[in-house]
Amino acid sequence: MIEVDRIHVRFGEGPGAFIALNDVSVTINESEFFTLLGPSGCGKTTLLRSIAGFIHPSGGAIRLAGQNILSLPPFKRPVNTVFQNYALFPHMTVAENVGFGLEMLGRPRAEIAATVEEMLALVKMTPMASRRPSELSGGQQQRVALARALAPKPKVLLLDESLSALDLKLRKEMQIELKRLQSETGITFIFVTHDQEEALTMSDRIAVMSAGTIRQIGTPREIYDHPRERFVADFIGDTNFVQANLSADGTVELPGGARIRAGLQEDAAVAGPVTLVIRPEQTVLEQVPEKAPLSGVLENVVYCGTDTHYHLMLADGARFVVRRQNNPARPVTFEKGQRLGIGFEPQAVQVLEG
Amino acid sequence: MAVTQPNTDLVIANRRETRNRWLLLLPSIVILLAAAVGPLIVVVIYSFLTAGDYGGVVWHFSWDGWLGVFTTSDPFDGTLSLANAHISILWRSVKLSFLTTLFCLILGFPTAYFIATRPVTQRDGWMLLITIPFWTNLLIRTFAIMGLIRNEGLANGLLEWLGIIDQPIQMMFTDFAILLGMVYVYLPLMVLPLYASMERLNFSLIDAAYDLYATPFRVLRRVIVPAVKPGVVAGSILVFVPSLGAYVIPRILGGGTQLMLGNLIELQFGQARNWPLGAALSLTLLVMVTVALIVYVRASANEGD
Repeated sequence: MIEVDRIHVRFGEGPGAFIALNDVSVTINESEFFTLLGPSGCGKTTLLRSIAGFIHPSGGAIRLAGQNILSLPPFKRPVNTVFQNYALFPHMTVAENVGFGLEMLGRPRAEIAATVEEMLALVKMTPMASRRPSELSGGQQQRVALARALAPKPKVLLLDESLSALDLKLRKEMQIELKRLQSETGITFIFVTHDQEEALTMSDRIAVMSAGTIRQIGTPREIYDHPRERFVADFIGDTNFVQANLSADGTVELPGGARIRAGLQEDAAVAGPVTLVIRPEQTVLEQVPEKAPLSGVLENVVYCGTDTHYHLMLADGARFVVRRQNNPARPVTFEKGQRLGIGFEPQAVQVLEG
Repeated sequence: MAVTQPNTDLVIANRRETRNRWLLLLPSIVILLAAAVGPLIVVVIYSFLTAGDYGGVVWHFSWDGWLGVFTTSDPFDGTLSLANAHISILWRSVKLSFLTTLFCLILGFPTAYFIATRPVTQRDGWMLLITIPFWTNLLIRTFAIMGLIRNEGLANGLLEWLGIIDQPIQMMFTDFAILLGMVYVYLPLMVLPLYASMERLNFSLIDAAYDLYATPFRVLRRVIVPAVKPGVVAGSILVFVPSLGAYVIPRILGGGTQLMLGNLIELQFGQARNWPLGAALSLTLLVMVTVALIVYVRASANEGD
């Protein structure tokens, strides 16, 4: 278990100082695949590098199994990193790279050789053992970097945007591979990414970060279905925001005048203007506008292969996107300029204050 | 015929292209012959001639020049014996050049590392500080060192004022003085290539090594040094080669007593009026440098595997 306790990181001095992490606290469980997700500059990499020991926070504590590791240099922390650009040693072979950590720990040669072999088998790189990093493809280098970081059997493995340099197909492969390695080794993975899709597919839990703070922590499903604030809803997946009015009786008045009873969170029931979050794939288009709670004028149709995106303009002028899976058996044609109804279940609606 | 016609054209075109290529190369070949190969041939020829009484050479074949490199003949009975003076000068040249290279490396490595780890905007300023002495005349720099270390100089004055010594330490006209001067003068030649290779160093490799339990010393030995080895090799060559042939620095700081090869060669063409011996000594220096380079480059290449 790793506890990050009110970590504070500031770059620079005085009024021009940049606060990279503002008293961030998070507890990551044993054998968990935990993802730090956020846009660039949100502090996710700073948090990762603080855990690795490359950044010295000005306040707080990082406890690994109860012991504060903040005063330890990187080479004394039982934590290993897979770097964004892999950082493989170019003058060493694949096997030497993988064995480097164990060699530095002073393990006997026979043990190093055995572990290197085991790790190379784990990442399916055994035939490449005597190659140099420069002779490997990006995906292969990625696997070697993984094997190198896993070889010393760290308590925690840190992955810094480790898949972002790979092309889409390889990235999908490596996502599954990473998940497999994590469950096989039982090591805690802390994964940093700006790619929300990657975070959703791989993580046990996600921490969404912005401007040096954690905005929400939860399972991928919780984060996607129940975003607690606009930033999280906007950053994760495609979202429609609808301005509405919450009445004291718990009903919501939509633009256009319809009233619905939305799935309210207990603490969010304050009467007044609210923002509704409605995911595009949880809505359907209706030919008869009066049958649906919302309606809008179809402005644009974007074909995306698996599905089609319908861009509508609501009564209050806001944009709304409906996503519809393409099915040749049920061809539907909506005309541009046509007024259409937007249907959805009450559970599909999240109510945010303001 | 119709088939072979284009082929003939092609042959002619090829021939023309080859001729043009040689024409384009001609200026460089001429310069190379006139400035490097030609003079070298002259030196080789002179080393096998007889010394003239007032300098110059007499066109008469003789081994005397080459014999004189390592032996000395008795002026009365003509018996040959080992030239101890030459051998000690040779030894001093090799020893001082080696030490100069070593100290330049020890001082230059952290210097280059320091500059390479500064923010990009500051690096040029630091490099300027390294190169400014290089724009100053060698004689002036050498005399400046003399001002520092002579008996009435700054170093002795300071030590006396502090009460550490009561007699000035004799530093001028010693091997130490020559070494100090050569390290000072040749240090930029070490720092520049070291810096060039360190600037290209991928610093995330250092992070990775730290992360994999390497102590700072092991990071240096296992990651930084192998990565900047081309710079170390280039810098060492750039310092060692001119050190071996140094002339001005030992002449001024070593006085007339602590000679190096460069001074010995100059002596033959000047006061001693023994041009064949001077030519032979020059070629000896050339062979030594070449052998040293081959050995060094081979050794450092093998070590990498």
